[in-house]
Amino acid sequence: MNFLAPLFFLGALAVAGPIIFHLIRRTTREVTPFSTLMFLQPSPPRITKRSRLENFWLLLLRCLVLGLIAAAFSRPFFRESMHSPLAAAGEGHRRVLLIDTSASQRRENLWAELKNKVAARIEAAAPADEIALIAFDRTPREVLGFEEWRRARPEERRALAAQRLSLLAPGWAGTQLDQALLRAAEMLEHTDRADAPALREIVVFSDLQEGAHVDALQGYVWPQHLSVSLEPLAAKQTENAGLAWLPETEQQTGTAKSEATPIRLRVTNAAGAQHEQFKLQWRAGDKTVGTDFDAYVPAGKARVIRVPQPPAGADRVVLSGDDTAFDNTTYVLPPQPARIPVLFLGQDEDEDPRGLLYYLHRAFPSTGQQQVQLTAHRSAEAVPGFLQQTAQFIVVGDRPSDAALDSVRPIIEGGHLALVPFDSPEASGKAARLLGVPALTVSEAAVRDYAMLAKIDFQHPFFSAFADPRFSDFTKIHFWKHRRIDLAGLKDARTLASFDSGDPALVQVPLGRGSVILLATTWRPADSQLALSSKFLPLLQAMLDQSSHFAPVQAQYFVGDEIALPESTTPLTVRTPSGREVPATGPRFAATDEPGIYQVTPGTLRFVVNLPAEESRTQPLTTERFSALGVPLTQNAKATAEQRAREARAQAAEIENRQKIWRWLLLATLLLVAAETLLAGRLTRASATPAPTA
Amino acid sequence: MSNPSFLDPATLMAIRNLELRARSVVEGFWHGLHRSPYHGFSVEFTEYRPYAPGDDPRYLDWKLVGRTDRYFIKKFEDETNLRCQLLVDVSRSMTFGSRGYTKAEYARTLAATLGWFLSQQGDATGLMTFDSTVREYLPARHRPGHLRQLMLALEKPSEGRATDLTTPLKRIAELTRKRGLTVLISDLLAPLDELETSLGLLTASGHEVVIFQVLDPAELDFSFSTAARFEDLETGRDLFIDPATARADYQRRLAEHLTAVKAIAQRLGLTHTQIDTAQPLELALFDFLKIRANRGKIVRRKAA
Repeated sequence: MNFLAPLFFLGALAVAGPIIFHLIRRTTREVTPFSTLMFLQPSPPRITKRSRLENFWLLLLRCLVLGLIAAAFSRPFFRESMHSPLAAAGEGHRRVLLIDTSASQRRENLWAELKNKVAARIEAAAPADEIALIAFDRTPREVLGFEEWRRARPEERRALAAQRLSLLAPGWAGTQLDQALLRAAEMLEHTDRADAPALREIVVFSDLQEGAHVDALQGYVWPQHLSVSLEPLAAKQTENAGLAWLPETEQQTGTAKSEATPIRLRVTNAAGAQHEQFKLQWRAGDKTVGTDFDAYVPAGKARVIRVPQPPAGADRVVLSGDDTAFDNTTYVLPPQPARIPVLFLGQDEDEDPRGLLYYLHRAFPSTGQQQVQLTAHRSAEAVPGFLQQTAQFIVVGDRPSDAALDSVRPIIEGGHLALVPFDSPEASGKAARLLGVPALTVSEAAVRDYAMLAKIDFQHPFFSAFADPRFSDFTKIHFWKHRRIDLAGLKDARTLASFDSGDPALVQVPLGRGSVILLATTWRPADSQLALSSKFLPLLQAMLDQSSHFAPVQAQYFVGDEIALPESTTPLTVRTPSGREVPATGPRFAATDEPGIYQVTPGTLRFVVNLPAEESRTQPLTTERFSALGVPLTQNAKATAEQRAREARAQAAEIENRQKIWRWLLLATLLLVAAETLLAGRLTRASATPAPTA
Repeated sequence: MSNPSFLDPATLMAIRNLELRARSVVEGFWHGLHRSPYHGFSVEFTEYRPYAPGDDPRYLDWKLVGRTDRYFIKKFEDETNLRCQLLVDVSRSMTFGSRGYTKAEYARTLAATLGWFLSQQGDATGLMTFDSTVREYLPARHRPGHLRQLMLALEKPSEGRATDLTTPLKRIAELTRKRGLTVLISDLLAPLDELETSLGLLTASGHEVVIFQVLDPAELDFSFSTAARFEDLETGRDLFIDPATARADYQRRLAEHLTAVKAIAQRLGLTHTQIDTAQPLELALFDFLKIRANRGKIVRRKAA
């Protein structure tokens, strides 16, 4: 027999009441009023008489009533084996240990402390427990899965886990705690075994730094019977200043980029920090280069410091003056513009303003992002091999040689674009040759005064930049002359723009993976105002962007980022900052596991990988933050015990609710009360019959 | 003590109306008495005094005016020869009674009887009831309706607990300037420390004092049989008393108390009568008159 609320049994102490009343009644039964006690002395009471209880059966009934009521209130029930989902599942814990291997774990001896804690937790595992290890920084990685744990022999499991743990080391990546938690929760939830332990727990071993991402936990519906316990690792030094390089954005990089453009570095200081004065130094390897720069950053603030371009050889800035060193170096590499070779086929002179080439030279200015190398191929021979390899965009001018046209055809078929302006109806020959069609019917259009572009496909990438009504006015561009191209013989030709007469002005004709763009006029001043209009440069740039396959080069990457590598026929190798040669297996390079400057060979491509700035926010997160995000936290073992007790109570309540013994107890109480009433009534009548004394 | 010609007190107390009760006693008394031995309470002429403006012309002696042509006021007709003040104890201790009625009822009936009797004779009767303080006070008068007021005042229930004899006695001494008769009806079951002083105050101012000490037979012989908690009616204090063991001591101490009361009465030259409530009231009345007769002689003798 068990009790749901055993404390109510204290109510049974109330039986003392009737007993005392029965005793007291004995002593106070007769009170004789008397005029005065002036002449009376108290007589000693007779003990023997008082100690005897009167109306024993009545007393017994009353005590029983009280006892039964107390018993009913304490909600008794008989323990029975109850089939609960918890009881059916296996004993023990199913536990995921989340191990933080982010860069901030490199502080002090946090890593050693973490390993000790994890090892202790593994060592403490009960035979019925299941343990999985997940290391996480930017991404969660399964170090030891539940399957593996179960497959291992019970006596070897701990050793296995310890061995896996010993292989881990803190990396340089940021902390995505939310992803790790979600992954662990999924791992715990998705089990196809019915005998998996019911108590599921995630134990987080981390410094729980402020910079850890937890936002994805917002609104996540946590599975039932899952708890998260935090094992925070506290660093002695929480003061930390972070350093981050802020590369110039595209807007800020002008064409007139001078050598004096300062490098912007952001220095953040932890709230409540004592240090406010820091030093920045350029370094080449371990050697200090140039002069120091002072940075004054008050606690809890961030300041952007501008320092001049790095001296020759310097590739990193080191911050000194704070307690924590792991995040004090940032690598800086001024962005290198992408070199894009553009091929011009034709006889135009470079400096002839009546020709096409003159304007092309000026249409592709050098920017921080790109540097167009325009090469004019005037000879009758085929285009040289290296140009065939690298040319990204082809413009076909007047009178190109057939050999040259034939040699660029593979380039177009490889996925690039060729722009063919029609300077005369005779240009149909070169277009036909390029496209590989027998002939193209082209005639000179009769233009009265001038023609304008009327129907423009703003959905097409060439014109999408002009889609906004502010820029979509093409009527200011007057075309004095244009040719009428008959598109009947061209398969899949798409008219991108038409003249107001209805004749096609710009036509895209696919060729292999690339395409040939037919322009029914030219930008020579004799033909049109196109070269002088504000639309000319964006239009050509749009074509170049479509044609060239260079991914935009990012100035800076962070540890763990994937980097797009340039296309190459030769196998590429990436040299990491630590000197490792990593062969690039695909178009993207993912092994950016340390900060520094990576070099791609062959070639001159270098890229910078830095520590994520978030990682510098090393102040610990509060548990309130996790609670606010709805994480089912169990602070410590005591809390777990409490939870278990709560579950046991709930189960007991259910059993009790089904048995409802208290009802029978109350019924018995009512019967006893009735009996008591009868008995008391009879006793009263019996005592009332004899004549009163005195 | 039982006399078949007198009314049994228990029967008397069954009469609810106090006035009727008093009348029954007095009338029965008259019947039994046949003749009154007391003619001494006649109207006494006190004095003539010259009329002064403002005096009530009703009291002018017109015969004298006719005879002498002088205005004199004849001062006697508005007052009776005796002013009797009844002091009745209505404290809690008086609510004890073992015979079906309490000492208080007995005392009230006694007071009413005296009042009725005196008023029949044309004497002025006043009343003061008291417990720890003075409850009701009616000055001594002989007027139509006064007796009725007196009865009503007697019938008022009291709320006080304790008995304080000093204050009412002092107060009555202050209130009644004129010499008269003061009848104290009480059980006198209170400390006697100040009783002598207070009574002395009354006798010193020339009052005649008669004390009726009303006691219940149970108080006198402590005739309880079962051991019980005895509760003091005045203080509420209770004691566990076994009558068998306590009786002798009680009787001894009560006797001491009564002796002390008697001694005080002796010393002050006042009349003390102890009545137990089983006694017919007529006897008490008879005692009263006897005392009055003797007392009158004594006083006269002393005065002479």
